[in-house]
Amino acid sequence: MSEEFEPNIVAFLCNWCSYAGADLAGTSRTQYLPNIKIIRVMCSGRVNPLFLLNALQQGADGVLISGCHPGDCHYLEGNFYARRRFMLMHKLLEHVGVDPGRVNMSWVSASEGVKFKDVIEEVVTSVKEAGPMDQFRRRQLNW
Amino acid sequence: MVDLKELQDKAKEVISRDDVRRLIGWQRGTYGFESAPIVVTDASDADKLIFDPTCVQNPASFITLEEKRPVPRGQEPDTRKVAVMVKGCDSRAIVQQLVEKAYPRENMIVMGMPCRGVIDRRKAAALFGDVTPDEVKLDGDKVVVSLNSETKELARGDILADKCMRCRYPNPLVSDELMTEEVEKWGADEFADVDEFEKMSPADKWKFWEEQFSKCIRCYSCRNVCPMCYCVECVVAKLKPQWTRRSTDISENAAYHVQRAWHLSGRCIECMECQRVCPVDIPIMTLNRKMTRDVKEMFDYEPGVDVEAEPLLACYNPQDPEDYIM
Repeated sequence: MSEEFEPNIVAFLCNWCSYAGADLAGTSRTQYLPNIKIIRVMCSGRVNPLFLLNALQQGADGVLISGCHPGDCHYLEGNFYARRRFMLMHKLLEHVGVDPGRVNMSWVSASEGVKFKDVIEEVVTSVKEAGPMDQFRRRQLNW
Repeated sequence: MVDLKELQDKAKEVISRDDVRRLIGWQRGTYGFESAPIVVTDASDADKLIFDPTCVQNPASFITLEEKRPVPRGQEPDTRKVAVMVKGCDSRAIVQQLVEKAYPRENMIVMGMPCRGVIDRRKAAALFGDVTPDEVKLDGDKVVVSLNSETKELARGDILADKCMRCRYPNPLVSDELMTEEVEKWGADEFADVDEFEKMSPADKWKFWEEQFSKCIRCYSCRNVCPMCYCVECVVAKLKPQWTRRSTDISENAAYHVQRAWHLSGRCIECMECQRVCPVDIPIMTLNRKMTRDVKEMFDYEPGVDVEAEPLLACYNPQDPEDYIM
C-alpha cells in the first residue's frame, strides 16, 4: 500500500460551543480536514467514556471530545465533569498501551472557527502518528 | 490475638438482639488457606465464627447483594439491621458505600476487627502446595503455620497478601465497636509497582495486556465480588444498548476491563478481592492501582476514607488539571 494512512476520527461536539464553532468554520469557508465524523451531543458532560471505547472498537482510529471553555458551559458545569472523566480515561488507556494521541479533548467556543480547524489538524496529525487502531478493534465474525 | 470465645459471645449477643436480622462474618474454610464467609441468622450458628489470617474475604461485598423484593400488601418491610464484621480494608468499602448513599448508616452494625494481615492463597500454595493447614496465626513479625502437627515460621512478606504489606488502614475507619484493641500501623504506600509498570513502552504495555486480557473468560467474578460493583443492572449485562458483546475476544475483553477499571476510579478501595478470585490470574489490580495513584495525584482524593466526602466523579474543582486538553 503506497497510499498514506487516513485516520477515521469520531468527534463528539457539544451543541452550544464546539458544534457551533464547526458550523462557523463551515460557513466562513475555512477548510478543515475531512477525517472527522461529527456527532452532536448536547453537552460534553453527556459523553460517556463508553462512547469512546465503543468508537475505538467499531473502527475509529481516534476520538475527539470538544466542549465549551471551562466556565462557559451552557449547563454551567457539564464540561467540568467531562474534564475529570476524560482525564482519567486518557490515563487509563495510556496504561493499557493505547497511544495517548488517540484520545483528544479540546475547548472550542462558538466563535472559534479557526481554532476548530487548528484543533482538527492537530488531532489528525497525532492520530496519524499513532497509526491505525488495531489493538482492540472488533473483528468481523465469520459465521 | 483475638479471643475467639469473646468474639463468638459478642456475636451471639448482637444476633440475639431484636433489631438485628443477620450477621456477616467468617467461618473455617473447607480446604486451603482461606476461610469461608458465613451469614449468621441464629445465635446457635455464632460458634462457627472465627477470625485469623485466613479471613481474607471482604464481608462488605455481601451487604449490597441482598435482593430488595417488593413487599406484599399488608406486610411491613423488614427494617432490622445487618451486622457485619470488617477488617481495616473492608471498612473502607463500607465508608465508600456510605459516601455513595448505598444504604443508611443506621441500618448497619459495624463490628471492627483490627487486622495485622491476611494470607495470599497463591503465595501459600506456592510454598505448601495443595494442603489445608490446621492453624495459622500471626506471632509478632512471623506467621506461624501448623500443618500435619508440624509448625513452620515464615516472614510476613512471604505469605501475607501484597495489600497487607502496604496497608495503611489496619484499623477499621468506621465501626460501632472494636472487637480487639487497635493495632499499630506499619505500612506505607509509595505506588512503586505502578511506577515500575509505567517504565514499559506503550507497545510492551499492550503486549502485556493483550496476553492478560486474552485469558479472560468473562466469568465476571471480579465484578461480583467487588464491594463497589453493586449497580442494579451492570453495563455489561445490558442488551439495549449492548456496550460490550458477550464473546470473549480481545476486543470485548479489553473494553470490559477498561470500563470496569474506569467505573472503579475514585471508588476502588483496594481490598484486592477481584484479583484474588480471578480464576485465570489476571493482575486486575494493576489497572486499579494506576487509577488510585492518578486520582490521588491529580485530584488529591482518596476513596473510602471520609464518610462526609463527595464521590470523585460527582464533583469537580475548577482548577482540575487539563494538561492534555487543546
